[in-house]
Amino acid sequence: MTESNVVGRWTSAPGADEIVTGRARYCPDIYFPDMLTGKLLYSPHARARIKKLDVSRARKMSGVFAVITHADIPGENSYLYANPDQPLLAVDEVRYQGDAVAAVAAKDGSTADAALQAIEVEYEVLPGIFDPLEAMQIDAEQVLKGEDNVIMQQTYQTGDVEAALASADVIVENSYRTQWAEHAFLETESAVGRIDGDGLITVYSSCQAPHRDRMQIARALAVPESMVRVITPYIGGAFGGKDEAHVQMHAALLAHATKRPVNLIRGRKESILTHVKRHPVIVDCVTAATSDGQLLAVKARVIADAGPYTNATHEVVNKLGEFIGGPYTVQNLEVQKIAVRTNNPITGAFRGFGAPQAAFVYESQMDDLARKIGMDPLEIRLRNGVETGTRMYTGVVVREGTAMKASLEKAAEIINWKKRERCERQPDRHLRRGFGMATILKGCGLGRDLGDHASVILEMHRDGSVILRSAAADMGQGIVTVLAQLAAERLGVEMSAIRVIRADTSLSPDAGASCASRQTMVSGNAVLKAADSIRDTLLTLAAGKTKIAKERLSLVGGKLHVDGEAHGLSVRDLAERASAWGYPLHAESLSHFDYPVDVPDVTYRYSQEVFQFCTQIAQVLVDCETGQVTVERLIAVHDVGNMINPGGVYGQIEGGCAQGIGYALTEELIVKNGHTQNTSLENYVIPLALDIPEMEIEVLQIPEPFGAPLGAKGVAEAPIIPTAPAIRNAILDAIDKPLYELPMTAERILNA
Amino acid sequence: MRPVTEINIQLTVNGETERVAADTTQTLLHVLREDLGLTGTKDGCASGDCGACVVLLDGQAVNSCMVLAPQADGSQVTTIEGLAGNGDLHPLQRAFSETWAFQCGFCTPGMLVSCHALLESNTNPSREEILTAIAGNFCRCTGYQGVVKAVMQAAAELRAASSTPGTGHD
Repeated sequence: MTESNVVGRWTSAPGADEIVTGRARYCPDIYFPDMLTGKLLYSPHARARIKKLDVSRARKMSGVFAVITHADIPGENSYLYANPDQPLLAVDEVRYQGDAVAAVAAKDGSTADAALQAIEVEYEVLPGIFDPLEAMQIDAEQVLKGEDNVIMQQTYQTGDVEAALASADVIVENSYRTQWAEHAFLETESAVGRIDGDGLITVYSSCQAPHRDRMQIARALAVPESMVRVITPYIGGAFGGKDEAHVQMHAALLAHATKRPVNLIRGRKESILTHVKRHPVIVDCVTAATSDGQLLAVKARVIADAGPYTNATHEVVNKLGEFIGGPYTVQNLEVQKIAVRTNNPITGAFRGFGAPQAAFVYESQMDDLARKIGMDPLEIRLRNGVETGTRMYTGVVVREGTAMKASLEKAAEIINWKKRERCERQPDRHLRRGFGMATILKGCGLGRDLGDHASVILEMHRDGSVILRSAAADMGQGIVTVLAQLAAERLGVEMSAIRVIRADTSLSPDAGASCASRQTMVSGNAVLKAADSIRDTLLTLAAGKTKIAKERLSLVGGKLHVDGEAHGLSVRDLAERASAWGYPLHAESLSHFDYPVDVPDVTYRYSQEVFQFCTQIAQVLVDCETGQVTVERLIAVHDVGNMINPGGVYGQIEGGCAQGIGYALTEELIVKNGHTQNTSLENYVIPLALDIPEMEIEVLQIPEPFGAPLGAKGVAEAPIIPTAPAIRNAILDAIDKPLYELPMTAERILNA
Repeated sequence: MRPVTEINIQLTVNGETERVAADTTQTLLHVLREDLGLTGTKDGCASGDCGACVVLLDGQAVNSCMVLAPQADGSQVTTIEGLAGNGDLHPLQRAFSETWAFQCGFCTPGMLVSCHALLESNTNPSREEILTAIAGNFCRCTGYQGVVKAVMQAAAELRAASSTPGTGHD
């Protein structure tokens, strides 16, 4: 990129000063003088019939402004991600511990708590269904009356799996189990609802999908979407956990009922009990190969425990199946995807969206296979890895796949893989050291046929300053920085000239959700398109003024350049001229995610087609007496296309690795008969500073040629995906024992 | 409802004297956020686990959700809002911003205060000492690498600023 002025350089995030000084306002910091405190009454049971719900005593209490139940909802009483089967407020039955039965707005928190206690609910506790295998049986009782417990059962197949299995020299067959994982975003779910004079319902929402929130709020209140405004203030982390709505509709309903602003903030325990978790899955997988390590077939059956409601289950389990063959050229593949309702916690989006579960399976299979045939783990991966031009088992052609093998080779080089035997394998009688690798792919974008688009509005003012309106929610991942950099780069101005208006549905058009590693690409392209239009106007004016051909002109660092040399005219001069002459420097643009049109008849449904590739290698030390695992080194080599925002890219990789270490070793929601046992951050154990090794990160910048703004891809999800299998394979290398269940706790290691 | 007992307490918060009639069961965190409007200090768990609410209480980094308001009577409190002097960012604040020591920023107020407390007593901390100082500050976004970098950078800047030119300091 010849003109790179801001793109690819370290730059502070717009708004960083607000964060480091404590001025940044998150939902819980929003305050109005007449604001009330909202709270929800949640079910104490995993499954129960509501025999009686009496809120009359609570309603009469002093300081209580509203108590609402399902009967008070003017519109639809349901969440709507894909399927409206989860009620906002329970009607006749509660189906998991997080079902809410009533909502209260009171003058303060303690009055709201007292009102919750004054609500009389009589439950008839019903036997719940907690085992997905049991729930799948034909005669199982229905979790949701009238609805089949099996909410998804699809099989995708390509090639001839049975023939390949019959001809294979080696077969590895294992059954895997993964856990419920909790996002543990530091800011719990929160929203503030408010009604303006003209009836406009404004909701400040800690979310990833402001326009989808708006739709859901409008549905619940039975008002047009134009009468709902969703604003995202600063958001304290999300990782997929705020993709699906949480308390936004309840805050709006309480504001509507009281005609006063109401804030609704889940406490940590409520947060853990109520919001969607990463799906726990049981995966039976058969992998077949020749004796020299050529993969022949993969056959898998996935059973996901969805909890009682659908949420993003179809989408997540579909993605899990899409990547079950890994970044490999295997041509014979069959995956059966099953998701089942139970009375366990609800499940949905979490960074990686099914891909971490898939990677734990396929990368464990690869190491088991390598051991069985006596092949090096690096070699078997290089032998089978996809390349540019490979038509994958999904039917999708990898258009840029250099990074698959490049990331493997680079990671191996950093740790000196071939000479790893030289290190001390048994530093003490009870200690064993091991090395493990995992390599993965994960798509960017929602997937084919899923309406993957985003719009932005860009304006340059007469003084050369710029406003960028984008509804792409920034939960910390840094999209605001990326979009500002792209706008600054294309308009030839400094970052400081760009002011990004954070997501506000009344000010900005729909950008879709900040999910699926998509916003850098889809909103990024929209920004470039809008900036190009403004830039063109500026250059046209400059050509007229200077009498120099437009092709020779460019805008860099706030100045007009002629043949690459600075000219006396500034961008500001040109903007003033545009304003004086009546050329509006205003552009709105829509960008669609680019999916190729020529695909074979058998193509995986909703497939992604631009890939993040990465390899991680873990060096671990296992204490055979305690089962304790120390991750001594973690090498992470990631391809991100061209890097726009290095701070964000490194941050995403480091943070994803840290979450991956937690997913691998300690994080597990313990659920017994539908009751979550660990409901605090004390006993849901996420990695702390001392648990994390110094990470060795290498960013490969292989420009993505397809649909990528300045060659850049998304990076958010990939980093968490290979960590758990890399650690698993390192443990296997250290103690010679394969593990098939996450997390790999000390107890499981001792029992292995 | 239980009876509420209020007592008058006096605190010096970021150099300003504040008098608050506080419910005896309320926490220092509540007083800061609700009574004084200092919402920079965050509530991440209300149970002393996450460190988002860390403030300096008489120079010590504490979880303000675990301190009852009456316990803080007569104390000096420094919050995130008090780190920048005269409107200039503290070197630590600048370093956090430059090194991307945060993403969402929700843990940052507590994290910055913990790091500030460390630098008050140790202007040349090792990686291990930094990690120990922030062992009680959860960050779910960054993996802590940027925080270590930021503290190292700020420490170097503070050392450079405090050393007298020409004295041949090591």
